[in-house]
This record gives sequence, structure tokens and C-alpha cells, in this order.
Amino acid sequence: MELANVFIKAAFIENLILSYFLGMCSFLAVSKTLKTAFGLGLAVIFVLGITMPINWLINTYLLDETGILGQDLTFLRFILFIAVIASMVQLVEMIIEKFSPALYNSLGIFLPLITVNCAILGGSLFMVSREYNFSESVAFGLGGGFGWFLAIVALAAIREKIKYSNVPAPLRGLGMAFLLTGLMGMAFLSLLGIDPAAISGN
Amino acid sequence: MAETAVQKREAIFAFGKKERKLLTDPLNDNNPITVQVLGICSALAVTTLLVPSIVISVAVIFVCAFSNLITSLLRKSIPKQVRMIVQLVIIATLVTVVELTLKAYNYDVYKQLSIFIGLIITNCIVMGRLEAFAMANSPWKSFLDGIGNGVGYGVILIIVAFFRELFGKGSLLAGSPLEVKIIGATPEYFINTVENTMFGWYQNNNLMVLPAAAMFLIAVLIWVHRSKNTKLVDIS
Amino acid sequence: MHSTIRVYLFVLIMTVVVAVLLAGLRELWKDRHEQNEAIFNKKAVLAAIETKLGDDVKASKLPDLEVLSIFDDKITQKVVDNHGQVISKEDVESRGYKGGLAEHVDMKKEKKKPAEDRIFPVFIYDDNGEKTYIISIRGNGLWDEIWGNIAVKDDFQTIVGASFDHQGETAGLGAEIKDNPAFPKQFQGKSLYDDAGNYTSVVVKKGGVRNPDYEVDAISGATVTCNGVTDMLYDGIKYYMPYFNSISKS
Repeated sequence: MELANVFIKAAFIENLILSYFLGMCSFLAVSKTLKTAFGLGLAVIFVLGITMPINWLINTYLLDETGILGQDLTFLRFILFIAVIASMVQLVEMIIEKFSPALYNSLGIFLPLITVNCAILGGSLFMVSREYNFSESVAFGLGGGFGWFLAIVALAAIREKIKYSNVPAPLRGLGMAFLLTGLMGMAFLSLLGIDPAAISGN
Repeated sequence: MAETAVQKREAIFAFGKKERKLLTDPLNDNNPITVQVLGICSALAVTTLLVPSIVISVAVIFVCAFSNLITSLLRKSIPKQVRMIVQLVIIATLVTVVELTLKAYNYDVYKQLSIFIGLIITNCIVMGRLEAFAMANSPWKSFLDGIGNGVGYGVILIIVAFFRELFGKGSLLAGSPLEVKIIGATPEYFINTVENTMFGWYQNNNLMVLPAAAMFLIAVLIWVHRSKNTKLVDIS
Repeated sequence: MHSTIRVYLFVLIMTVVVAVLLAGLRELWKDRHEQNEAIFNKKAVLAAIETKLGDDVKASKLPDLEVLSIFDDKITQKVVDNHGQVISKEDVESRGYKGGLAEHVDMKKEKKKPAEDRIFPVFIYDDNGEKTYIISIRGNGLWDEIWGNIAVKDDFQTIVGASFDHQGETAGLGAEIKDNPAFPKQFQGKSLYDDAGNYTSVVVKKGGVRNPDYEVDAISGATVTCNGVTDMLYDGIKYYMPYFNSISKS
């Protein structure tokens, strides 16, 4: 029940991009065409879904005072988290290259950029500060990734259409993308009305 | 021989036109946010108030400048295969230093910023400058480039925070000793009185507290910036 | 081969340097960090009795030394169990709270235990013989946990003040329980009992207060959070009732 709550909250209400601006760089850069946006969105779901549980294990059993080392090593959190993320991204890159060269080519330089996609590290840091347990952190990772995916696909679709509109020259491209993201953020706010208790059935 | 050494030292710390350009370019023609589209992530989420925005700007300038400097110093010895991870570790270390410092000397701001200090690590502007500049330039130049980009980034952050705090909360620099109450029937005055404010009729605009407001403000900034500086207009 | 060794060597040296640097800094500032955290929590306790500390005092703005001196001079800390019994320091320590004082009790951990096993912190503020009891409560908001400190007068009926905080309520809506100083302020002087003398705690009421003795206005648009506050107050204060009763009897 709690899990559904966490998932919905991560995907819609506290959407990583729309309410925390996490992963904006690749969000804006890769949202020009729907196809690449779709691929990157999937990659983000995947990487978030993998790194969150791994980072959870590291944080709980290695860094925490109650972990196996018995030392409070939380000051190494940033470094270890980013190292896990970097290696996971490398792994995903290798897998995609092997199984879907077409996707690999279209994602091009943006795959390594997932490492510095704030959404990934942000997810792990949120997990720590909100003290999620293992299953909650998986739900949060998948939910957050799904929300990110939705947002980038939606933006890419709108941007493909808006190319044909008569936008004031200085607003073209980036400016419009920001405006659209803002409007999408407001639209997502209407999902605030969702009652998580009703969904999880208690 | 001695002469060349002196000349060389001068060259290391020279501050001529070229170096000045390193500092000023990111403020206008090559602004990290409005032009390079880097580093918009994370930090914007704290722009509801000015104080945390200023703190995080200073932190970004610090991290950007010193990671650029360190990377540039090490640029010849960093093995190519592990380049990315080395850069990330340098950044992560500096960010941890910032976090520990804040935790020791300004706990309130530390609590306010919570995870957003950590997210400086993935601020693409830092990483982006390391790759694009520090790996190929001398330490001094890289240092200046880091400061320039950090400032260019901070300026946008502070402009956004200024408007969001002013119209969203009716105050400026709330939480610092310099706090001023400027407009609006802000919550604290809601029940008692509005006499302390100049524009008591103004109701705080809740939109400004929402994340969307930051997007709109940046869109407007880009609009203004590109109308003044037409060579930046996106022609695609 | 040669380059592989070089890579390993580089990574090794880098790891050592970084680890030593960060560990050193952390050791250097460890005491400061702990002290800051303690003061932060103490300020949250004091926020509930702001009105007692003087006009226009804001607990969050008090200088650190003053916070510590108020705690040293005027506040007695006690930990009680579900039956109102005061628990010894050693007992609290044996439950995993180093230090054994009320300020060390982690309500988040306690909330997860069955009600029977929970322990509760009490801070007694003594202003020249006039005692105020500050208690900690914790509950659920819309998205995550909410918590607060409630100061109760020594008649155990009247609320002196309250302060709230939250983990992840919506900014501008649910988060207002903390961000809007007018919300906790409403609790001052409210009664925990209705006219007939039944325990009601304080009700956060949507759409206008009907009984100002024990009702406060809700924040519009934050119904679930406000209901959470009502429930948290009702349950949270109830846990302390055996303790309050045992004092008022003696």
C-alpha cells in the first residue's frame, strides 16, 4: 500500500523534473525528437531502477553506523553513490550497444550524460533523506523514472508540433521549452488531488 | 633561462584581455544557463528564497573553480580510461567539503538545502567545463573559467530567486539578518496587522512558490537576453 | 599492461588522498556537527513556547548560546512510558538512545514501535515556578510524516503554543503548517477538553471554526495534511495523558 503511494508520489506529484528540476540538461537537450526522448526516458527508468536499490544497500550496510563496518561513513556517500551510478551507466551503455545499435547511435553522447543526470543522483539522495526502506526505494526509483519518462516524452511531442508555430524569434527553441516545461509542471499539479489512501485501498 | 622562467610565471598568472574574457563571457554570450543549457538541474529548486540561492551559488562557484583548477593540474596524468570517474570523484570530494563546512558553520542553511548540495555534483555545468575546458587548458585559465561560469550560473539563480521570493513571499533575504519585508500581506501579518508592509493589499502569489514559476522566469530571461543579443537566437 | 598498472595506481592514490582528506575534515568538525544538530532540535522544542520567552522572540533566531542556557537553566527533561511512568536515564540508554535524555529520543523510531512499547520525551519549562510541559507528537500528513511539539500549561488543559514540521508536504499548501507562522499561532490558548469536559484535543476545522475553545482554522487546499494534524494531536497528546494525570494527582 505504502509502495503505491511512493510510486504515485514520485511519478506524478513530485515529478523529478517538474518539481525538482532534476535532469533538466538532458531533458532539454534530448527532447527535440520523440524517438530519442523515448529511448533516453527508458534508459533513465532502467538506471534509476537499478541504482536506487544498490545505493540503498551501500548506504544501509556500508555507510551507516549500524552497518557491517560499524563506522559512520556517511561523508563518503556522495562519492560512492556517484561511482555506482557511473559504473551502472557504463553497463547500460554496453548492453544497449550490444542489443540495439540503432538506439545506441541515436542516443549518442547522451548516454554518458545519464551519469550526470541529476535525476539519478537526486533519486538516491532523496531516498536517504526520506529514509525509505528497500522496497520503497525500488518503488521510488521506478516511479521517479516513469515520471521522468512521461515528462520528456510529452515535452518532445509538444516540441515536434511547435516547430510549425509562429513563435517570437528570441523565444524559439530553449525559451519555448522552458515555458512548456513550466506549463506541464502546472498541469501535473492538478494531480495533487489524487488521494493515495484511496488508491492503496485503506 | 632565468628570464624565460620569469616570463613563464607571468604567463601563468597573466590577466589580460583574454583572461578577462574568460570571466565575462559566461555572463553574457556564453551564459551556462541561458545559452549553453547546462546545469539548470537541481539548484533551481532552492530558488524560492534568496539566502539558499546565494549560498548554493557560492558553492557552485567554489566547486566549479577548484574542480577546474585541480583537473587542469592533473590533466596530463589522468589516465584516459577513467577520466570521467576521476572528474566525478574530484567534484564529489569538493562538494562533500562544502557540505561538511555548511553543516559545521551554518546548520540552518544546511537543513534548508538538504539534498541540493549533493546535487551540485551532477550539475552539468561543472562536469561540462571540466571536459570542455580544464582538460585542455592551463590551471590559471581553467580557474578563471570556473569562476566565470560559476558566476554566470549564480547570477541567473539569484535573479530567479529575487523575483520568486519578492512576489511569492513578499520578503527579501528572509532568514538572514538583513531580512526585509517588502510587499504583501505575508502570512506572519495575516492575522494581526498589515501595517508593517508598504503594499498591504498585495496578496502573495502562490504561483511563485511553485516550481513552474522558475521555468517561466527563465523563459522570460532567455527572451530578454536573446532580444538584446540577437546573435543567440535559435534559428532551427 | 603498463597503462593498466598506471590506471590502478592513479585510482588507488586518488582514493587514499580523498578518503584521508574527507575523514580528517569530518573528525575535525564532528563535535560541531553534533552540537549544531542538538541546537537545531532544541530550537524546535523552544518554538512551542516562544510566547513564554518574551515578545517577538523567534526560537529559530535565538543565538546558540542562549538556546543552550535556556535548556540548562530552565528546562528539565524527562522520558515517560505509555503508563505515565518516568523512565530512568539508563533505561532510555538501553533502548538505544545515547545520552539518555528526552532530547535524544527519536520519535520517528518510536512511532514504528507498538504503542505499548513506546517512550515519550517531556520537556518541562520552569519559569519561576510556573511550569509548562512541552511534548512531542508525530503523525502522518498527505505524503509523509509530520511532527510537532506542543506546550501545555500546568493545568494540563490549555495549550500554550505549538510548532510543526514535516517531511514532504506540498509547498504552499500542506507545508504551510510550518511555513506560515499564523498556523501554529492559532493553537495558543486552545483547550484540550470540550465544554462537557471530554477530551477532544484540538481540531483543525475546514470551513470556519464553530467552537473557538478547541478548534482552529484549516489551511485551504491542504485538507489531508490538516486532518493529519488533527489525528496527530488527538493520538499524540493522548499518549501523555497518563503522565499528566499522575502529576495532577500528586
